[in-house]
Amino acid sequence: MNRKLIFFLVSIAYLILISYGLYSVYTVEATLRVKEPPKIKPENKIAIARTEIFGKLERPQVIFNHGKHEEAFKKEGCNTCHPEKDGQILFDFPKTVKKKGKTAVMNAYHDQCIDCHKKSSSENKKTGPVNCGDCHKEKEKAIQVKYPVFEFDFYVHDKHVKKLKEKIGKDDCGLCHHSYDINEEDETLALVYEKGTEESCYYCHEFGKKRGPELTAITTVAAKKGLDIRSASHQQCLNCHLKYKEEYLKKGEKEACPTECSKCHTGKYRTVAELEKIVRPDRDQKDKPFIDIENSKMKGVTFDHKSHEANSKTCRSCHHETLNACDTCHSLTGKPEGNGINVANAYHHVFSEHSCAGCHNKKKEEKKCAGCHHFIPAMDVETMNPKKETCTACHSGKKDQIAMPKPLSTAGLNKDKVKKEVEIKVLEKEFEPSKFPHLDIIDKLVKVSNDSKMATYFHGNLQTLCEGCHHRSIAQAEAQKDTPPNCKNCHMTAYDGQNLNRTRLLSAYHRQCMGCHDKMGIEKGSSVRFKEGDRCGTCHKKKVGGPTEITHIKNQNVAKQNKNNILNVWRPK
Amino acid sequence: MDRRNFLKIIGSGVAGAATGNLLTPGRTLAKEGTSAKELYGILVDTTRCIGCRRCELGCAEVNGLPIPDISESKNENLLKTIRKTSDAQYTIINRYETEKGTIFVPKRCMHCNQPGCVAACLVKAMRKRPSGHVTWDLNCIGCRLCMISCPFDIPKFEYNKAMPRIQKCNLCYDRYNNGVLPACVEVCPTQALMFGSRRQILDEGKRRIAANPDKYIEHIYGEYEVGGTSHLYISSVPFEQIGFRKDLGTVAYPEYSTGFLYAVPFIFVLWPIVMLGMNRATKKSKEDEGHHEEKGKH
Repeated sequence: MNRKLIFFLVSIAYLILISYGLYSVYTVEATLRVKEPPKIKPENKIAIARTEIFGKLERPQVIFNHGKHEEAFKKEGCNTCHPEKDGQILFDFPKTVKKKGKTAVMNAYHDQCIDCHKKSSSENKKTGPVNCGDCHKEKEKAIQVKYPVFEFDFYVHDKHVKKLKEKIGKDDCGLCHHSYDINEEDETLALVYEKGTEESCYYCHEFGKKRGPELTAITTVAAKKGLDIRSASHQQCLNCHLKYKEEYLKKGEKEACPTECSKCHTGKYRTVAELEKIVRPDRDQKDKPFIDIENSKMKGVTFDHKSHEANSKTCRSCHHETLNACDTCHSLTGKPEGNGINVANAYHHVFSEHSCAGCHNKKKEEKKCAGCHHFIPAMDVETMNPKKETCTACHSGKKDQIAMPKPLSTAGLNKDKVKKEVEIKVLEKEFEPSKFPHLDIIDKLVKVSNDSKMATYFHGNLQTLCEGCHHRSIAQAEAQKDTPPNCKNCHMTAYDGQNLNRTRLLSAYHRQCMGCHDKMGIEKGSSVRFKEGDRCGTCHKKKVGGPTEITHIKNQNVAKQNKNNILNVWRPK
Repeated sequence: MDRRNFLKIIGSGVAGAATGNLLTPGRTLAKEGTSAKELYGILVDTTRCIGCRRCELGCAEVNGLPIPDISESKNENLLKTIRKTSDAQYTIINRYETEKGTIFVPKRCMHCNQPGCVAACLVKAMRKRPSGHVTWDLNCIGCRLCMISCPFDIPKFEYNKAMPRIQKCNLCYDRYNNGVLPACVEVCPTQALMFGSRRQILDEGKRRIAANPDKYIEHIYGEYEVGGTSHLYISSVPFEQIGFRKDLGTVAYPEYSTGFLYAVPFIFVLWPIVMLGMNRATKKSKEDEGHHEEKGKH
């Protein structure tokens, strides 16, 4: 009896152990792969899911054909479905929601859609479905309908300005632009327009971005009114379009004042180059303001505002919060309005989208520039020992003067010192020497530099271009000993036992040459593209009778005898 | 308790402890490595790799494997498929097309700090050396548990040989003992591979990321994955795009079974004692009952 009990209990214990083991093995967390739902062309359709209200849907979402409804209610107008307030149509749906909560919203949708469908069917008109499954279709459950954001760029802006002038004979920016006076107690009077203070809609109506205290107060009011950038721009644009559409139709301009979704949300965006010739809106901005911060240690900068206007798509790519000058919020020591960022960092922060240095760094990532600049670390105010020319390029201290340097030229080069072709023999045993077209490369770089206004301005002289490859060169020491600035002056052939991370000559060449070819998109000699034949062969011709083995120390006995081996320096005894 | 019973219990206890230890050989072994002063490993900078496959060639030469053809015409076709390491190739290069262009990724044993393969090995053939190298010995019984337990699918079995062995990268352990760099590191023409102590290469990886925040994503693969590995990767695109598993978690694989395996010897030793105690406690009263019943019958 006792023995049986023991056996029974032991077996129970085993069972518990085994099940615990299995449990712990099979409950290891694993991530599931979620399939992205298929996207369809929008074609004036809208996916009604409202998951922010309903959460998880009981029935499939409704793919609503807005274009069809728009066509059907051409005569009746948009206010058949959308609510109206103070003569302006608000593009919300449904018209009225009596109570808060899921059921109330759901009922409002159902009432408005189905009532209308029923009504028209009783009048023997062609109409939409009234049964659940005809709108909530199972097969449309996973479809995504997404419209690309519309960009109101300077081309469109310019078109609107011109049309408006044609219509009313003068500039009236107040039709669209307004500002909100946060200190005004009477809310009906708070929305004002003052000439010269026009700004982008995004400043107040875009809620996603983090703003300073002043703007946050305004965005809070806008958020309370439900005027995010989507509803605000639909309300503003469409009401005006609806008002003038008829008039233009009569004139025969069919494309004017579009109201269909896909007419604005085309997904096509104009590039900076396409917008370059468009006249930027005039807001009394100076062409060449002199930026001189009081009590600052640096000399002032004459800033070519006009040429920078042409190189940006929007004003807010630099003026990120208001269209004021930078120093209104960013002072020498930093103010709360400027988020504590001082004026030096506001101009020099390397990774900001709005600072001078940040934007210039972005520019340096372009194909033409990245060949050299990819290897040159970004500089900001904290960079140690910058060259004098680096700072004085902007900080000239000369008011209203921008001295453009002469385009570079290779004419004055000493042909004896600057070789036309350099032979590199590092991999001599395995390959024939590589021929490096030194002078051709200089010519190419000079051309690239001269083609760009920014490069011409900042490169200054030919020496700057040399530093693209001959980086951190010990120019002074080399000049004293009269040795050419070769890579091997610093990069050793073998691994450095003290510092295994130090770039050896072989990788210095490969990384510098191939890195530049990669970044500049030069197919020959780049690392990523496979051309027909030998990729290595573009630079290295295979040597006949060269060694077949590439590892230096294959035989371990040799290594044992080799007492000065490299790893002995750091390997634990 | 008589002598016979006592011996029985002691015997089963000892046997239990022994079996328990047999079931948990790797747990202690796997931790052996981390207690050493430095683990050595390789930092792989995938932005520097140019896919020349010289590391494959160097590896084959040093380990006596079939010499691969690394000519360009061959590479083009070969790199179209995503390959896995095999018993004849301890290291391979894969090509991935990503948002930031073509990226080559060298793949070899990750040399985990607490390797699953070492914990799984029944005969201690797979070992984590104090220097970080995960190596394989000839006393292998060919159970292939290491292959199942590896989260990176690295150990490979020589199925086509009469005396099959498990084959995988051993971070050139012999060369390390002789003070020479691993073959792949030695032959890399761009220094995409950096050999050094784990502390060193981790620092260097972090330095590169901090110096080029635009170039790299802020993640060193292998720093925390499966409890940390000696082979580290840095990349310009998220690691799932270049064929790395993101679902591995940061717990070392042996630790999943540690709790369970610790419990086994404990149960083996203590359970009989507890049961015996219960037995003794209940036995007397039952004997008494029997006695009373017998009395009643008389």
